[in-house]
Amino acid sequence: MNGINDKINELKAISQNPGQSVAQAIKDTGKKAVGCFPIYTPDEVVYALGLLPVGMWGGPSKGNKSSKYLQTFCCSIMKANTEQALGGDYDMLSAVIVTSFCDTLKCIIEDWKIAVPHLNIVPIVYPQNRKSNSGKTYFKAELKRVADELAEITDTSYTDESLAAAVDLYDEYRRTLQDFVKSVAEKPGLITPLERHHVVKAGYFIDKKDYVPKVKALTEDIRAAEVPSDRQGLNPIVISGIIGEPDGLLEVFDECGFTVVGDDLAQESRQFRTIAPNVGDGFDRMVERIAMQDGCAFLYDEEKRRGRMIVDLAKETGAVGVIFNQLKFCDPEEFDWPLVKKEFNAAELPYLYIETEQQMDSLEQVRTSIQTFGELL
Amino acid sequence: MPERAYMGIDIGSSSSKAVIIDRDAAIRGEHIINLGTGSRGPADAIAKAFEQAGITKVDRTVATGYGRILFKEADKQITEISCHARGVKQLVPTAETVVDIGGQDAKVIRVKPDGRVENFVMNDKCAAGTGRFLEVMSRVLGVGIDQLSELADKGKPGVNISSTCTVFAESEVISQLSSGSSIEDVALGAHRSIAERIVGLAGRVGIEDDVVMTGGVALNDSVVQAVEDVSGHKITRLKDPQGMGAFGAALYARDLDN
Repeated sequence: MNGINDKINELKAISQNPGQSVAQAIKDTGKKAVGCFPIYTPDEVVYALGLLPVGMWGGPSKGNKSSKYLQTFCCSIMKANTEQALGGDYDMLSAVIVTSFCDTLKCIIEDWKIAVPHLNIVPIVYPQNRKSNSGKTYFKAELKRVADELAEITDTSYTDESLAAAVDLYDEYRRTLQDFVKSVAEKPGLITPLERHHVVKAGYFIDKKDYVPKVKALTEDIRAAEVPSDRQGLNPIVISGIIGEPDGLLEVFDECGFTVVGDDLAQESRQFRTIAPNVGDGFDRMVERIAMQDGCAFLYDEEKRRGRMIVDLAKETGAVGVIFNQLKFCDPEEFDWPLVKKEFNAAELPYLYIETEQQMDSLEQVRTSIQTFGELL
Repeated sequence: MPERAYMGIDIGSSSSKAVIIDRDAAIRGEHIINLGTGSRGPADAIAKAFEQAGITKVDRTVATGYGRILFKEADKQITEISCHARGVKQLVPTAETVVDIGGQDAKVIRVKPDGRVENFVMNDKCAAGTGRFLEVMSRVLGVGIDQLSELADKGKPGVNISSTCTVFAESEVISQLSSGSSIEDVALGAHRSIAERIVGLAGRVGIEDDVVMTGGVALNDSVVQAVEDVSGHKITRLKDPQGMGAFGAALYARDLDN
């Protein structure tokens, strides 16, 4: 276990100290860093330009500067990002790509242009009909626009070859994480839900080229290890939602006897569960990957597959239930919940619905809900 | 003195409840103190329950309630949701729904035939629909919390108080009083507000008869009546609604001995 612990601790340190990790990565790689908002930003384009894509998934920061721009009911990730931007935490970034999947993101694009103009906001608009030919044509043009805009801001350039290589690297990263979460499910209880989360999250703050070998080595160690007797018999579950944060939330999972064997989190598996098919150039592969990505509240899916996909994931991983972590007040996720719940009921899959914020001082009521879920299982 | 004794201790946010039962689940000692977690309430409640039962130790203890995790002397910590369900089912075998309104949270629990939880929903951080809401209302109306029910009985319907937020509701009450509404009418409106919040919450898991109400707020006749009116379901109220979590915990403690 020592080897596993050392590798996890290294990745955990990266994940828990994003500012330091990114500063170190900038120093190590000599690259300029570009912030990438949730979710599905075209990181491959950033990488192809010789830049360092950095995930921007909020954090523990609190304050009230962001309330000048965002209402209290906006999601806590967006508030934390804005708070950090206003506090200067992102000044190390050369540009920031902001998606437009929800109303808050749309406002952020305009707010940040005024509030933090030095951060060079590059918006990206994804097609509603991402599977149709016209949607794909539009999206490819949009990706090219983002690439050109970023190139101008950062005084960099890309080639077809550098983009293809970046897509290859990102597919390798995605396969590596697919394999990692599979290995965790094969050894339920060996690592905690929080450790699993930090291993995945660390990938947002360092160069994927450096991150992939670390996760591969960890996965190998996990496969070779035995689950200690005192960690056996935990309730295997799947978690769904935007993020598995704050850290205390996943600690409560562990304290209440749950181990995460699969996830449908926007910050985690939704980022890597779909691999780009090998068709056309780098842009085509990115377009096709998003066209294939289903079961996400932010990507229109006329067949509403998400609930069935979670049920299937639970069956594949041997999960005894699902915890749906609704991030307040994420309306795309809230719109999905009734449909997802219907599928859970049809499959007679036990579930727990909890509402959390990324920054929570007290988790006692959530603890009571999670512990009760364990008791009723 | 019972041959074997089992204790349930329910450490809530505003009160502590201790129940001691024997092997036949008969209550041998019980005490409730209006001091919750972080106070001497749990120790005092236990001491009084021991005194009543005529014993100096119990064979097994289960802790429940908000302060359950910090009560290290327990053999096990079980949530108040499971404990209220278990306690109610023991006393009302036909119960299918439990509405538990405590000092700072409210839960609607669907119960399986064996007393285990089938499904549940609880309020979030918001104090609306909880005992805390009543505390705020009694302060604004200038009466004791135990006088609220009597006051509301004399009220006439028609005063609407926001069922969404305790802070907004407080402003609304002040506004209603300023515009000439009587405190009796406002008290009735406040109770109706709690009921609407609870019944709204219950919609997520459904209400099936028989419905039993537990927790400290169940001592308030006017709230119970309002929940009946809003939900359209008859509410069964037990003799000791506050002690139901501790009683359920004691039953779980007895299970540990088997």
